[in-house]
Amino acid sequence: MLSASHLTRRFGERLALDDLSIDLRRGEIFALLGPNGAGKTTTLRLLAGLIAPTSGSVQVNGEAMTPSSASRLRGRIGFLTEAPGLWDTLTVRQNLLVYARLYGLPTPGRAVDDVLKLFEIPDRANDRAAELSKGLKQRVALARSLVHNPRIVLLDEPTSGLDPESAREVRELIVGLRDEGRTVMLCTHNLDEVERVADRVAVLRTRLVAMDTPRALRDRMFPPRIRVTLRQPASSFVDVIRRAGFGNVNADDTVLSVALDGRGPGTPDLVRRLVEAGADIEAVEPEERRLEDVYLKLLHADGSVQ
Amino acid sequence: MRRVAALLGKEFADMRQHLTLFLPALLVALISIVIPLMVAVIVPYLTGERLSDSSDFEVALEMYKKQPELRTLDPEGAIQAFIFQYFLVIFTLVPVTVAMSVAAHGIIGEKQARALEPLLATPITTFELLGAKVLAALLPALAITMGTLAIYMLVVATTARPGVFLVLIGPRSIALMFVLGPLAALAALLGAVCVSSRVNDPRTAQQIGAFVILPIAGLFIAQIAGIIELTVPVTLAVAAGLVVVNAGLMWLGIVLFDREAILTRWK
Repeated sequence: MLSASHLTRRFGERLALDDLSIDLRRGEIFALLGPNGAGKTTTLRLLAGLIAPTSGSVQVNGEAMTPSSASRLRGRIGFLTEAPGLWDTLTVRQNLLVYARLYGLPTPGRAVDDVLKLFEIPDRANDRAAELSKGLKQRVALARSLVHNPRIVLLDEPTSGLDPESAREVRELIVGLRDEGRTVMLCTHNLDEVERVADRVAVLRTRLVAMDTPRALRDRMFPPRIRVTLRQPASSFVDVIRRAGFGNVNADDTVLSVALDGRGPGTPDLVRRLVEAGADIEAVEPEERRLEDVYLKLLHADGSVQ
Repeated sequence: MRRVAALLGKEFADMRQHLTLFLPALLVALISIVIPLMVAVIVPYLTGERLSDSSDFEVALEMYKKQPELRTLDPEGAIQAFIFQYFLVIFTLVPVTVAMSVAAHGIIGEKQARALEPLLATPITTFELLGAKVLAALLPALAITMGTLAIYMLVVATTARPGVFLVLIGPRSIALMFVLGPLAALAALLGAVCVSSRVNDPRTAQQIGAFVILPIAGLFIAQIAGIIELTVPVTLAVAAGLVVVNAGLMWLGIVLFDREAILTRWK
């Protein structure tokens, strides 16, 4: 749907993005993570055809983004900018109508009605943008980026500054876009949000640090562990477990944390050994690492991990 | 063209919510109408003193005696024609004022609302965007100028001596109002566009753009002092100079209005 090949962008002497190659698939939510100044917004602007790369290329449905094709290809992409950027003195409907006309839609009024319905805001159509709450403004901005029914949607910090309820509404809308088969690229600092919605994640720090599914990244950075909660002190079972072939074992009060490398014995073996050794097991659960841990470890790791 | 029309529609809708933008221009228009009316008609009427009896207007009388179209007027009418015609130069400030206010508001307003990036993400080209902004300021500037000019002419036709009105609608006035005025407005507008790309406050842009007023004020003073006479050739020569200035400002505007500069350097 949308791909970038060896995308590099300099602003004068400053290298904003270095040799990024990605390929966004149909019907996926792709999250772009990275610290401030990592090149996330630059990437979105390059993909949206707002700025040109210093080197490398962008393709939209197989068609190269060039100075002559950029205007036309921008019409196939929906871009939610970091700030809603609505015209405050205009009503919601007027805001959307201008964009429907800018996209050259044959029936702009109908397109606006459709998108108002999609975002459940027909009752706010005649409200001035200045009167809207921050969450509602973001909703209108999202509606604006979809008024021309693009199959590719680029979202820059879509829930930034929103209260939890509004953020959840926006997240639901994003998931809805994927469910309709649209390709969504999401640029955010909110790792919890990424964890909830993203199918794939890329970590960027001027250049690509890592790219995979959240699960694969987690497994790569933190091998799976099992957490066993006992009704007695866990330290007395550490040797038993080690002798059974589990190399990496930690005990903390009544909790045992055991690494599984996928090649050696697994969870059933672990439970059996513990029961045989007289352990009174209260709970067995996979020890989940948060994406935040993965992200921080990736950024702090020496070199890049592909 | 459809995209320019779409953006123009937005600009006009926005202007309807900011009618105070036009107040400075209306004030200039009012001054341009009231002052010559006071000097040429009301004060002489109230004091009972004829303009042609005053030594203040001897130069005017001499200058106008040389002009064939004024020979049909009596001395009082010739001096009235002198006053009304010379104040037409001040009238060119009306489109200049409108253009500066609207352009500064239109561009800096977008910057402040952070509305340019979503706009640039649409298929609109930079040229179309700049074109819409320029037209959105120029069209109301010209419309207000024509409207106030019509009032000015009506005032002259109804209050001045017979024949003064006919002198006023001669080629000099037409060159001044339909050539020099719009070109000065365009210069102010393009100046405001250039300045707006570097500042974040519409008032600052207007203040810097106000430098366009200085040459016009200088022209007015030079005329009154008898240093220069704005004949048709002189007016057209000044207009030609403005065409060159406008071409330079247009080039500078396109450079400053570059899509990448807007996104990466306009803060």
